[in-house]
Amino acid sequence: MGSDTFTQLVDANYASLYRFALSLARNQADACDLTQQTFYIWATKGQMLRDAAKAKSWLFTTLYREFLRGRRRGGRITALDDLPPGEADPPAPAIDLVAAMDAGVVVAALQEVDEVFRAPLTLFYLEELSYHEIAEALDVPVGTVMSRLSRGKAQLRTILAQREATARGNVVSFSAQKLRQTP
Amino acid sequence: MNNEQARFLLRAYRPGGRDAGDAAFSEALQQAQADPALGAWFEGQQAFDAAVAARLQAVTPPPGLREAILTGARLSRAEPRTWWRSAGWLAMAASLAVIASVVATYRVWRPGPAQAELAQIADFALTEPAVAHDAGPHADHLGAFGAWLQNPAIRITSDPPVDLAQLKAQGCRAVNIAGHEVFEVCFNRNGGWYHLYLARRSDFAPAQSPAGPVFREQGQRATVAWTDQECAYVLMARGGADALRRIL
Repeated sequence: MGSDTFTQLVDANYASLYRFALSLARNQADACDLTQQTFYIWATKGQMLRDAAKAKSWLFTTLYREFLRGRRRGGRITALDDLPPGEADPPAPAIDLVAAMDAGVVVAALQEVDEVFRAPLTLFYLEELSYHEIAEALDVPVGTVMSRLSRGKAQLRTILAQREATARGNVVSFSAQKLRQTP
Repeated sequence: MNNEQARFLLRAYRPGGRDAGDAAFSEALQQAQADPALGAWFEGQQAFDAAVAARLQAVTPPPGLREAILTGARLSRAEPRTWWRSAGWLAMAASLAVIASVVATYRVWRPGPAQAELAQIADFALTEPAVAHDAGPHADHLGAFGAWLQNPAIRITSDPPVDLAQLKAQGCRAVNIAGHEVFEVCFNRNGGWYHLYLARRSDFAPAQSPAGPVFREQGQRATVAWTDQECAYVLMARGGADALRRIL
């Protein structure tokens, strides 16, 4: 792969890969590391990939596997058996409130979703991969992707609703304090 | 298909997704159009998904990440293993095997000075018991260069803003390796310690100094050596070659 082609590959994918990495790693430094490591592996191994159309899927798969590899070194990964059953449709915050939320708030809520659901959920929202590609990247059947997606969404809605309620509570509390200080 | 099954599928439906036209969704979509309650629920799901997706897309990578990726990859492509694995090079390598063995034999009894000197810096980094921890200022006392070394968004090989004379003036530890002055700087990235050895590029014969990174490992320590126009570098970490690759 020539230098220009590689630059195009980076330009087309590094932002989405970084967003995926940020949701997994939960901090900027590790997300940068994961993204860079993914392209490093591409530069050393990915050029052997014969089907260029699969480059995007390959990059997401590699990033996820690198993340798991790092997690295995750091501690155990949350198993599905450890997780409580998901709610079918928990209350969600008002849509206009989600739209008004800062991107950092929504990403922070996404980072609170259990790890096993977070990866399919983030790939769902990034809209870069098809379900079959997500299933390949995560090494699970398509049905499992959809099931985890459903439970991940339920968790995300709950977390966002809690954040919204907390924020509203703080505003009320602050206003009441200000009123008390008014002569 | 009952409504619960339809909900399961519709939760996974992405209007802009690559599989939006998949037959699996068609029946559930038709059901949402025919059932007002299901339709209203689906509309709420879609609005929520669109709001979250828009927030996620608004996240921008930190400045310098793109350049760091490109620089790191450029260096990694210079590693020998990237070219010798390709079929064309393998064929050429086979035809040159006899010549290579002759060269290797020659190098055993008479190593080239530049390559030997780089290897000697790596030898020192791999075996020196004290490194610079107790012998000189850490990166956080080395001004802009120190801050650059500790910036997690920057690849260590991406044009370091180093001035060896300034390092000397700042009291940086210098060791004499094979007659050359080599500076040693400790810095921390993401909780891990790294030790960077820097020497003048002119101290190494250009024809024999590899530009790309050359890795070595010994016990828990690993080194990577590379050069640019001004300097020769050897980076050491105790976390193995993976720890080095993370910041290259």
